Amino acid sequence: MDSTTLLSLIIFTPTVGALFLWAFDRKAEESMRYCALVFTTITFVLTLFLLGEFDRDDPGIQPVLVQVNESDATEYERLEAYHVATEGEVLDGVKLTAGQIVSDGKAYDESQIQRGVVHRWIGQWNINYTLGYDGISVPLVLLTSFVSLLSLLAAWNIKKHVRGFLILFLLLESGMLGVFLSLDFFLFYVFWEVMLLPMYFLIGIWGGPRKEYAAIKFFLYTLVGSVLMLIAMLMVYYDSGQSFDLQYLARVGQGLEDGLSFSPTVQMAAFILLFIGFAIKVPIFPFHTWLPDAHVEAPTPISMILAGVLLKMGGYGILRIAFPLCPEGAAAAAWWLALIGAVSIIYGAFAAMAQTDFKRLVAYSSVSHMGYVLLGIAVWKINEDTGATIGSEYWLMGMNGAMFQMLAHGVSSAGMFFMVGVIYDRVHHRDLNQFGGLMGLMPFYSGLAVGIFFAGLGLPGLCGFIGEVFVVLSTWNFSKPLAIVAAAGVILTAGYILWAIQRVFLGPEYKGPHKEDITPMNGREASIAVVLLVFAIVLGVYPESMFGLMRGSMKLLVDSLEIAMR
Amino acid sequence: MTAEESLIVKLLTAAWLLPLLGFAVEVFGGYWQKSRKSKAAALMAVACIGCGFVASASALCLGIEWSALLGEGTKHDVMEPISGTFYLLGEFGPLVLSLDYYIDSLTLLMFTMVTLIATCIHVFALGYMSDELTDDHVDHEVHLSDGGHFHRPGRFYRFFSFMSLFCFSMLGLVLAGNIFQVFVFWELVGICSYLLIGFYVERKSASTAANKAFIVNRVGDFGFIIGLMVIWTSFGTFRFFDHEIDTKPVPGLFTMISRVEAEDAHHDEKHKSSAEHEKDEEHPEGEEHPEGEEHHNGEEKAEESHPAGEHATAEHHAHTMQLDVDDARSVVFLHKDNKGTRIADPVTETEKSIPYWLLIVAGVGVFAGCIGKSAQFPLQTWLPDAMEGPTPVSALVHSATMVAAGVYLAGRFYPMFAPEVLLVIAYIGCITLFVAATIAIVATDIKRVLAYSTISQLGYMMLGIGVGGWAAGLFHLITHAFFKSLMFLASGSVIVGCHHEQEMPKMGGLWRKMPVTAFTMLVGVIAICGLAIPFSIFGAKIAFSGYHSKDAIVASSLAFMNANQIHFLLFFVPLVTAGITAFYMFRLWFYTFAGTPRDKKVYDHARESPLVMTIPLIVLSFFAIFVAVGGEVGPLYGLLQGSEPVHVDGGAVSVATEGATAITMPSRHAIHDVHGQAGWYALIAAVSGAVFAYLLYGIRVIDPADIKRNFSGVHTFLVEKWRFDDLYEVMFIKPVHVIARWCTGFDRGYIDGLLHWLSRKTVDVSNWDRKFDENVIDGLVNWIGKVVYKSGRSLRHLQTGLIRQYVMFIALGVLALFVLLFVMFPA
Amino acid sequence: MDIGLNHYLVVGAVLFVCGIICMATKRNAIGILMGVELVLNGANINFVAFSRYTALGLDGQIVSLFVIVLAAAEAAVALAIALNFYNNHLTIDVDRGDELAG
Repeated sequence: MDSTTLLSLIIFTPTVGALFLWAFDRKAEESMRYCALVFTTITFVLTLFLLGEFDRDDPGIQPVLVQVNESDATEYERLEAYHVATEGEVLDGVKLTAGQIVSDGKAYDESQIQRGVVHRWIGQWNINYTLGYDGISVPLVLLTSFVSLLSLLAAWNIKKHVRGFLILFLLLESGMLGVFLSLDFFLFYVFWEVMLLPMYFLIGIWGGPRKEYAAIKFFLYTLVGSVLMLIAMLMVYYDSGQSFDLQYLARVGQGLEDGLSFSPTVQMAAFILLFIGFAIKVPIFPFHTWLPDAHVEAPTPISMILAGVLLKMGGYGILRIAFPLCPEGAAAAAWWLALIGAVSIIYGAFAAMAQTDFKRLVAYSSVSHMGYVLLGIAVWKINEDTGATIGSEYWLMGMNGAMFQMLAHGVSSAGMFFMVGVIYDRVHHRDLNQFGGLMGLMPFYSGLAVGIFFAGLGLPGLCGFIGEVFVVLSTWNFSKPLAIVAAAGVILTAGYILWAIQRVFLGPEYKGPHKEDITPMNGREASIAVVLLVFAIVLGVYPESMFGLMRGSMKLLVDSLEIAMR
Repeated sequence: MTAEESLIVKLLTAAWLLPLLGFAVEVFGGYWQKSRKSKAAALMAVACIGCGFVASASALCLGIEWSALLGEGTKHDVMEPISGTFYLLGEFGPLVLSLDYYIDSLTLLMFTMVTLIATCIHVFALGYMSDELTDDHVDHEVHLSDGGHFHRPGRFYRFFSFMSLFCFSMLGLVLAGNIFQVFVFWELVGICSYLLIGFYVERKSASTAANKAFIVNRVGDFGFIIGLMVIWTSFGTFRFFDHEIDTKPVPGLFTMISRVEAEDAHHDEKHKSSAEHEKDEEHPEGEEHPEGEEHHNGEEKAEESHPAGEHATAEHHAHTMQLDVDDARSVVFLHKDNKGTRIADPVTETEKSIPYWLLIVAGVGVFAGCIGKSAQFPLQTWLPDAMEGPTPVSALVHSATMVAAGVYLAGRFYPMFAPEVLLVIAYIGCITLFVAATIAIVATDIKRVLAYSTISQLGYMMLGIGVGGWAAGLFHLITHAFFKSLMFLASGSVIVGCHHEQEMPKMGGLWRKMPVTAFTMLVGVIAICGLAIPFSIFGAKIAFSGYHSKDAIVASSLAFMNANQIHFLLFFVPLVTAGITAFYMFRLWFYTFAGTPRDKKVYDHARESPLVMTIPLIVLSFFAIFVAVGGEVGPLYGLLQGSEPVHVDGGAVSVATEGATAITMPSRHAIHDVHGQAGWYALIAAVSGAVFAYLLYGIRVIDPADIKRNFSGVHTFLVEKWRFDDLYEVMFIKPVHVIARWCTGFDRGYIDGLLHWLSRKTVDVSNWDRKFDENVIDGLVNWIGKVVYKSGRSLRHLQTGLIRQYVMFIALGVLALFVLLFVMFPA
Repeated sequence: MDIGLNHYLVVGAVLFVCGIICMATKRNAIGILMGVELVLNGANINFVAFSRYTALGLDGQIVSLFVIVLAAAEAAVALAIALNFYNNHLTIDVDRGDELAG
């Protein structure tokens, strides 16, 4: 399949599904659900195709295209089989430089190569429809389609305005996939906003008692972030000779384009704007208070999406945009970033401990866990005089750990929210003090739930452990006090999760209302939970499965940022 | 790797993974089976661990050079360590995290011990847990709100699946080839103990105890992680062994930190003086030992004074060693090989090193993990509460797994511990063993007495390791595992026999009802007290295993005290505690089995346990008697010595040469010299404790109740476990909850408050905006409309509808136009 | 005395003024109609006169023919209106038709 087609299909299959749903009769709810399921499944399969297409030996953006003829710089065709030359490689007696692309016995320079598919969209403003993927986005794209599929299954028992729900849900999925696949800043921004609106309605219409408050809070918070991002976007647009191409902007930011660069002031300002924009999404203390409300009010499948995918967009934005575009700003702010990352870890954990609402507890645990992501990204230690990076392999490890933590949290927190949703569907309350004894009433559910909560607790062999520990281990090189603070999180995490487990699952009897409605999980619910737990175990036992995908791209990112600072 | 070595790896891997397989099959099979009366899961678990034992034992037989083991002299040739990698977890440039294995004689020994004891406990549990083999189990300890008891299906299968997982985790920990992997399984052991301690999930006390165990362990793990961070950042590897990355040789941790010969002149003088001291006062026949001669040679050589930076080659095999530090004693250089070649950093062209204080932090950090897991002071509080679990769990936790993990790690990681860290370990062990022993005196719950005795014995092990008696500490670990599991199982047998009565004051005279239990328990009691007949028969003392191992520890601490007079407490406290140990253990036995029955109901219903429970007791008591046969020249000790870190042999010195921080680790030779003497001290203490117990509880010369009354303050203090729980409640738990509430309050009050304030202000602004719109802008528009309307109204009166008038207007209009035309354009 | 352009113009003007006065003073619709005819004919005379005495050629005559046709058509329509008016009001007094008054 042509790359443009594949990528566009991945993004727009859910949209097409949403259009299809329009044609359905309002009352044909069951068939609408199946229709939506078919489209999300197709999307998931397409992302698996993408995984197949992805060449993990090439750290750069893919697909790689080459000019059809030398003179014409508009027509490109895809290189099917190629490899990136290493330093000192010889082809036909000619010594190659590192980074050249070798395909079919020919070597191409970077100038003849185009990474990512580019189509003109709005010509006079130099806005393009640029799509591409690398080791950073592929795992997240997979996570998105995977979590979407599971959330759609979890949405089976939504009874109110089914068609509207499904349409918005599919649009949301399109937006999320678009964010992860677009390489044009403007396009990125468009998808970023596209995902915002469906989310607003999904919380605002299908939410709990305080849904309006939560939806508006979510919307306003995110909109503030978007606006800051927009400002930064325009700053870099005009400072780079009017380009939205993220790869080009990154080169400008890293001083690789002749005669063009962002001044330190611009870098600093743009970085702060971008960072706040993304930090709101992550969310990072003190921009996190939309999260508990949004989660508590959102219906279960939306909570899953929110925790499983949406939060990752913030981390992705920092990795894909904030750091590469403004390396100097990032380097200058690294310590502060790490500090608020560490504060988020501890703060989220403490706040989680004081909650009595089960879902709120899980929401705060997200704040705590996402703090590790920021901490891992930020452990960039620089020699102030020379600009050389000290112990770059530890930073690389932190970056990888942060990325892994995003994936792991995508699985474990989606699972946790789902598990809370399952019991909420039965007893219609979430008060931690009114549970108890579920282990006896729903043993299978409780077993799976405890497993998934252990994944959140960071138990070895489950996914949460790897990310957290790798990040923490890499932090000591950066700052000893912050490392100790971050490590203290393990005690608190154990505290609040075990305490919650004790109050919900253990004990002799159920203390709350609707005891008669507590029934075992049905097949649909059980299969979702089992799939999530299995993935939590696979990621925890064999993390190399994900590290293998992201390693090259992460290394490239770290190396290029290092060089930019030197 | 030779075929034999790879076979050993395969055997141990199988022994390690079989319980995991068992766990998976048991937990799912058990859940989906129709009836809860099937024993299939348990049999599967027993089969798995039993096969594991067979595999481990064969690996032990294969891996050991028996000639070296049974021969004379040092045992370093017993086994060459086997190491390698299972698979990678992550790789970041030169940083590699993986699952490895590191097999030496200690690993093999631990494998065999763990699997053997676990097998016995599994078999015992077949009987002990049999009341779970029902579809309707009534838990009499749980009272429901409607006054009834709690009914549930039996959970026989679940118990055994957790036990399997527990064994898997512990074996993984022992097999681990890097410290990170140790941490991984460390946590898994923790969670398994959580699951098993909280096995009776309906009991609030059980789930609280489980939480406490896990969280307290996590406190220790916090230190462990800090240690890991230091190691990771300073050494760049977690692996114990030398390995290759991209065909480049990379030294393992133990190689990097390998010691060099102590070369400081001052030190040698000090050592000489202490050596002479020993010779003069305690060891008149020191000349018999050839090592002593060599020692002097070494000193003479040192007196020739090496130029700084030059390293003495290891010509002698028993030298006093120390860390390779620079002149200022601030950094420790890392080595490429065991000969002291330093690693040069290719980038900075300096020698790679770690700050000395960081090495201490790393050591104390990792040991903090051991404190948590092995229930050392100040994290000992979880272990007594862990008695909430079924008794076989207690037996497993207290002997072969969990608490053993801490001691094992302290032993495994010994080369990384600076002398200062060892001193910390010694003092922690010393405090622990005393505190726990004093609490055990007043405990009345049979399992709790055993729990405190475990803590106390773990303190001994730590002390042994801390004072340089590496093999002694681990020796005690192995022997203790056998007799403690024996005693726990015996107490389990008592508990089952007395229908879940655990209070000793309600027992008494039970030996008539359950003789096998009583006498196997007596074996355990004698073993733990370290009683022996102090005469040689056929060249060996008649003594149970505990005598040998405790004796070794006391000897080590005596030698340590001799070398470091300032740390005299490290000898006297354990010595006194040896007496206390004998006292409370015999108290337990007399209370339970001897004398007259105190509670007739309990006594009448008591019965001996079935064979499935007594046979493990007999097997374990056999091992409790004979496992340490031969003492320090026996095979077990030899096996341990085969894995002994190189610098233990000749003793070690700290890098500080004077002041309170100067520490000298006694050499084996020094320990050996005081062995006989220490043995006598320990035996006297133990016998006096036992006699005292006999007087009080055996023949009741003095009524213990009188003593209790006279020392009621002390008694209460001890019953309340030195008030540690209250202290932690006030110091940590409450503040944490307060801070947690603050955080939530901060979110609600300040962050959300700020937001709400902003939104209110925004609403205010928009209200004002609305008013402006409504009054000013809309007002203007409306006014224009009104004026136009009004003028239209007034003009409409011109419209009369009369044609004649219109014609007049037209005519006049035309006329007016003409007039205008002529006026304006006169030409 | 030569009959010149001015004479014709005077006749036309007199007719025109008479027509205007007739329209302005008559209350009878037919009268007003007749006034209109006078006005038109006054104009016709002017056309023809200018056509005769200036270089317009036959244009003036043609226009005046148009005006005659137009007047006929107009008279027909006006009479129809008057008839209708009479049917509704039983009079043709235009002062009664003041329904368009503002």
